[in-house]
Amino acid sequence: MRPGRQLAVLGLIFVVLYLLVFFSGGASGGFKDRLEPRLGLDLVGGTRMTLEATNSLDGKPPTAENLEEARQIIENRVNAYGVAEAEVVTEGNRNIVISLPGENRDLTDVGSAAELRFRKVLKAADGSGAAAAPAPTPTPAPSGSASPKPSGSAKPSGSASPSGAKATASPSAGGQGGGAPAPSASATPSPSASAAPSASASAEPVPAGVEEQRKAVEQKVGAAAWQAASGLQAPADLTADPSLADKLKPFGALSPREVAVLPAEMQFNVPMITCAQLDQRPPASIKDEKQKAVACEDGVQKYLLDVAKVLGTDVGDANAVLDQTSSWVVSLDFKGAGQEKWTNLTREAFNNEGQACDQTALGQDGKCRVAVVLDNKVVSSPEIQGVLTGDSQITGSFDNKTANALAGQLRYGALPVTFEAQEQQNVTATLGASHLRAGLLAAGIGMLLVIIYSFFYYRLLGSVIFLSLVLSGLLVFGALVFLGRQIGFTLTLAGIAGMIVSLGVAADSFVIYFERLKDEIREGRSPRSAVPRAWTRARRTIISANAITIMSAVVLYIVSVGAVKGFAFALGLATVLDLVVVFLFRHPIMTMFARTRAFLSPRVSGLGRILPPARSEQATRTSRVKEA
Amino acid sequence: MAKTGLASRLYAGEAGLDVIGRRKLWFGVAGALILVAVLSFALRGFTLGIEFAGGNSFQVPASVGTLDDAEKTVDTALASTAAGAEVVTAQKVGGTGGDFYEMRTTQLNAEQANAAKAEMARAFGIQPDQISGNQVSEAWGSQVTSRALLGLVIFVLLVTVYLVLRFEWRMAAAAVSSLFMNLILTAGIYSLVGFEVTPSTIIGFLTILGFALYDVVVVFDKVQENTRGITANNNQTYGEAANLAINQSLMRSLNTSVVALLPVGGLLFIGAGLLGAGTLKDLGLVLFVGMAVAFLTSILLATPLLVLLKNYEPRIQAHNKRVLARRTALARGEITPKGAARPAADADEPVDADAALAGAAPKVGARPAGKRATGARGGRPAGGGGNRPGGAKRR
Repeated sequence: MRPGRQLAVLGLIFVVLYLLVFFSGGASGGFKDRLEPRLGLDLVGGTRMTLEATNSLDGKPPTAENLEEARQIIENRVNAYGVAEAEVVTEGNRNIVISLPGENRDLTDVGSAAELRFRKVLKAADGSGAAAAPAPTPTPAPSGSASPKPSGSAKPSGSASPSGAKATASPSAGGQGGGAPAPSASATPSPSASAAPSASASAEPVPAGVEEQRKAVEQKVGAAAWQAASGLQAPADLTADPSLADKLKPFGALSPREVAVLPAEMQFNVPMITCAQLDQRPPASIKDEKQKAVACEDGVQKYLLDVAKVLGTDVGDANAVLDQTSSWVVSLDFKGAGQEKWTNLTREAFNNEGQACDQTALGQDGKCRVAVVLDNKVVSSPEIQGVLTGDSQITGSFDNKTANALAGQLRYGALPVTFEAQEQQNVTATLGASHLRAGLLAAGIGMLLVIIYSFFYYRLLGSVIFLSLVLSGLLVFGALVFLGRQIGFTLTLAGIAGMIVSLGVAADSFVIYFERLKDEIREGRSPRSAVPRAWTRARRTIISANAITIMSAVVLYIVSVGAVKGFAFALGLATVLDLVVVFLFRHPIMTMFARTRAFLSPRVSGLGRILPPARSEQATRTSRVKEA
Repeated sequence: MAKTGLASRLYAGEAGLDVIGRRKLWFGVAGALILVAVLSFALRGFTLGIEFAGGNSFQVPASVGTLDDAEKTVDTALASTAAGAEVVTAQKVGGTGGDFYEMRTTQLNAEQANAAKAEMARAFGIQPDQISGNQVSEAWGSQVTSRALLGLVIFVLLVTVYLVLRFEWRMAAAAVSSLFMNLILTAGIYSLVGFEVTPSTIIGFLTILGFALYDVVVVFDKVQENTRGITANNNQTYGEAANLAINQSLMRSLNTSVVALLPVGGLLFIGAGLLGAGTLKDLGLVLFVGMAVAFLTSILLATPLLVLLKNYEPRIQAHNKRVLARRTALARGEITPKGAARPAADADEPVDADAALAGAAPKVGARPAGKRATGARGGRPAGGGGNRPGGAKRR
């Protein structure tokens, strides 16, 4: 018999699924362990962080290869924490999700780009924000006390032009030459103080996107403030010119993101731009090694930094070690070419070639300092005491943990993509367990309500609904355990919600079928003929309705981020399995049921209920039809 | 008519409600509601959750003391770690493993959040790992939303193609526009009531799509069945046939909606009642609101819209004219038809009507007749005889 065959297929599916659950690869441990689905972090406790790739300049997502490379680097870094079962996966085309089950720890650093740059400190200023009352440092700079150069005020911009090739020269002039200023270039920006420098400074080397953003910022602060700021050749001396403070005030209200698009000189010269803003700039704001940059050390010292001449990629190996004074440092081994660059840089700094380093930025012994810049911040800025031909060290206020973390970041390399932490979730084990129980309780209540309703409405046929819900439940559970092991699907709270919602879908397909059946019986068919007829018609509706649910689940799963994925997967899975149950269980059962005597009894099926009133109405109805 | 009467007529699919005839009313009501919703978007906006504004939240076990004390302690801890940081909202949320206080705070960076957590743990005298914390950047909510919108667009495109293939373009257009109305009205309720919008809400919002169309498909399926070959006779206008379909599938729609709402109600009950906040509540609420709206739109908007569109189709237009002309003719007594004029709105199933009327054209009615004969032949005493007055008597 056909119904029997369909039931047999269903039985076979069950046997195979649960054989897989118990004996497929990865199944191990006792009876209970083998039945354990993979639970998400919100159910067992742990830490999860979502990192979004941000290219601060254009909004384009990174290439797939870059994202994968970044994922591997992050995975290495996470594994360096020694956490078991850490999971690092990409999601969509710009997210990386890190999950640490059972661990409660801060992951923010894992996603930092770790772009290491060595930059000479050209100028220093106070960046603590107390600059409205100017620190003594700015005073010497504008006064032009650096005697060797013809004009003090021209000098800084002079050093700008050869290095960054920023103003007029071609960008390819890389700036390897060091300090020797090209006077011709220096002439251009300095004399036409107000408008020209800002225009020329932002002319060529910056990408178009930045140019636009800069315009937007210019509008935001107002033309007056912008002109005043672009006219500055050194940190504004507010005591000398109090009116300047008012003019520059709007700069203090800029967001870090807006600050980041300003020209480096402006970031440095406007005292209202504090380290608080600078430290919060989006990642990779000062990544470009061919540009000068501004960065802060310890959140108070603001430095104008030269172009980067030694990069993180020049570092061969990095380790956290204790130095002679028993403080933690990160020792660096340079690669061959990197070593040479490093030696050149230290020579340049030691000799202060071209007097590139401003008075304000020199160390105690009158030598240039070299800042070790990691991402947006200066880690340390030691004075160069001699030409260094060997390995080097990064000193700073490290402890064992931070030194190791930095070494790890440098060792595994910088991320090819910059990330921002979008979401970080710490869930304690207690809270997780509470979520799990609440989710199961909600599922239980939902199922109970559906079953009560179906018994109330369809009487004994409710038992068919009940049985098929139990069957789909078992199928879904088996699939969860199996998929959890095979493709790493984790059940999250949102996933449980998806399952609960799918209960409705499953019950809906019953309603459609039974209502159809009712129609057929009302039209006077015997149960035996009504069941197949109702089935053919209901099948169409059920398939189209479920197809739409599945479609929405698939679309959600593909495009969405975060918890939505788990929800969509669960909803889709449960809906597909519902179709299986509909075809292989409900239909054959109903076919068999239709052969029994009890089928039409109002007390049993709820279907016959339409007949008594229908019969009393029959007279009128029939006559009407007969008239017709 | 008495209430029980309506219930049993509903049960039998013969409620005889005139939905299509009042379509101007529904369109008017829908238009007004949409206007209200849009005004509300513009004037009131939405109450956005932490995920859109950016911020931190901490979950502290309720065992540490009263909510007020806990909030003060957290405030102090925050103030000592970051200038200007404070608790924005504090609420008690339940859990089967014990209650929690959920404190939402202004945005902290990672170091501050960790320091604050350590400070809180010290102040409460508990272990730091007993405190859960979430940190969300302001961009996260908008990322989720933009992906969701992308999903919405793709889904609507796919589903339109599907509906065009499965039904026809007018049905697809009616279904999709009722879908949009559904979304706007749901969003309007959120805006008006001021329910909090979180990424979970957005997820749920997308899931409504599926359900809204589920109902519509159920009704349209019946409409399609009732109107197949409708132009072959002059009994019913398209609108009347569609109205009949609505009445016949009303119970089905009601049932599917109730049955779908029940588990969601469970979700909402646990999410809001027991846990107090979080994914379950957000999802449950938006699904509950959206599905309830979906039930109404599928009946009151989708089909009337379909009729509106269909009435512009030349073939249907001509057919409707013919039906009406015939009716006026009948009324004037110019022709004496095979059957007396039937008030079509509460007519019986067209299947029967067709069969009774002509029997000539091979219509839907033809097959059941044959089948029924088979059924009668094999009829059993219990299943057939007494309870099945159908076949023989009716014909």
